[in-house]
Amino acid sequence: MSSFKRTALLLTAPASLVAIALYALPIVQVLALSVTEPTLGWANYRDLFSNGAVGRVVMTTLKVSVLTTLLTVAASYTVALAMLHMARGWRRIAFFLLLVPFWISVLVRAFSWITILRREGVLNRLLLDVGALSTPLELVYNTLGVTIGMVHYMIPFATLLLYANLSDIDRRLMQAARSLGARPATVFWRVWLPLSVPGLALATLFVFVFALGFFVTPALLGGGKTLMIAEYISVQVSTTARWDLATSLSTMLLVVVGALFFIATRSPALRAAFTARPPP
Amino acid sequence: MSLRRQLEVALPRLLAWGLLGFLFLPLLVVIPVALTDRDYLSLPQHGISLAHFAALLDWDNGWLPSIATSAAIGVLASALATTLGVSFAVGAWAAAGWWPSCLRVLLLSPLIVPPMIYTVAMVKLWARLALLDTYPGVVLVHTVLALPLALLAVSASLANLDPRLVQAARSLGARPLTVFSRVILPNIIPGVAAAALLAFVISWDEITVTLFITERAVVTLPRRIWTSITEAVDPALAAIATVLLIVTIIALAARSMYQTRSERRLLGR
Repeated sequence: MSSFKRTALLLTAPASLVAIALYALPIVQVLALSVTEPTLGWANYRDLFSNGAVGRVVMTTLKVSVLTTLLTVAASYTVALAMLHMARGWRRIAFFLLLVPFWISVLVRAFSWITILRREGVLNRLLLDVGALSTPLELVYNTLGVTIGMVHYMIPFATLLLYANLSDIDRRLMQAARSLGARPATVFWRVWLPLSVPGLALATLFVFVFALGFFVTPALLGGGKTLMIAEYISVQVSTTARWDLATSLSTMLLVVVGALFFIATRSPALRAAFTARPPP
Repeated sequence: MSLRRQLEVALPRLLAWGLLGFLFLPLLVVIPVALTDRDYLSLPQHGISLAHFAALLDWDNGWLPSIATSAAIGVLASALATTLGVSFAVGAWAAAGWWPSCLRVLLLSPLIVPPMIYTVAMVKLWARLALLDTYPGVVLVHTVLALPLALLAVSASLANLDPRLVQAARSLGARPLTVFSRVILPNIIPGVAAAALLAFVISWDEITVTLFITERAVVTLPRRIWTSITEAVDPALAAIATVLLIVTIIALAARSMYQTRSERRLLGR
């Protein structure tokens, strides 16, 4: 090995050490604890599947995650596609409206929604004042509030991802379709949509994985009533100190996320999206 | 153009602007609430008041100390993450092989692995090492969480670096360290700056892990906001949210103006 390559490898050492000692090993310990705490064996996982509370949390998590993913990807695709067709000036305004929520703290976003949606909140006040309602609506501290907050959180991210992916599509194909007399709707259904599949698959994967493990927004907008898996794990850590439950649930979550990404890298459409090239 | 054709073009566009409004407008609600003349969360009723902004400036209310804490932790974590990230990215770029690519996957994995799993891991580890609720404990965790974006920012810069520059320097007899510090590093400075900024923002915003590895001794700004949302919602919260919103808008506007200027310069106008 040349001294140049040796120096280069040496440069990778500090970050590698930190990542192994302070990321990989602690997580491996969580996996290990799930089969050793309190006794060696698979008992924790058996308990997990017979635990009614865990079952309800998993169902809530899946319901909210699927709903969030569908709404987010549909909305993000609409925005990304429209942005591709905008004139420069309008597109800059659109980017601004997208990037402010993208960069602002997730806590500020959750707080805004609480202010708007709670019983005495801005929206209920407004609807009561104009006489559209006689009793305030329950808009937050339930599944509706969590879904609104999560969709709002995910759209900027998914739109940026889709925009980057759709920008790579060869626009001459749409020009060709139009010059051959295709109507705008036909161009969309027969040209844009099929070519968007890799980007849409990538956005769906990322949004779904983020939603599965999301903590902040469900915890604040769910108000303890809509309990998702990350918040449930946090309760086991901070309140009840049930390490058996916390570690086995964490392991399950990690396995599911890992499996989703493994399947994703096998599928040709997603591999194409990862490498940002349309499939052959 | 027929009416139907016009509708097919206009409706999706209208829907997209509606969605952009849904993203941006709800954030603005914190501004009138921050200006309320009441001492509970409400819209202004008999006039506006700056009392809640003044409350932020009172050191004893805990907002200023938490801002100082977050800034200090952010600077340290950003410095660490940037140093580690730049060193790794440059090393992996120069010594392509299976080892750097495996480690790269590991270093990027915090982007995908749900933070709650890392929380469980670090609460356990820091409890054993007596690092719970300490500054080093928080700085180290933030460093690990900021590394992925720091690494991606530097890697993007390195992708544009011409490998022949390195070959030229080496064939002229430059020692390895000279190549790294005098040839590669000066060429990726924009990437290093982006890495430092992104790492700082990650640390400044981090809440999930921080919430469970800190208690009373280390109160970051997100932790202070969290406590305020879950325990005692007061309009000072809307005031700090307004400040954060305005800072974000100014930063984005400045970036956009800078980009336009450099684009014009490139086009020679």
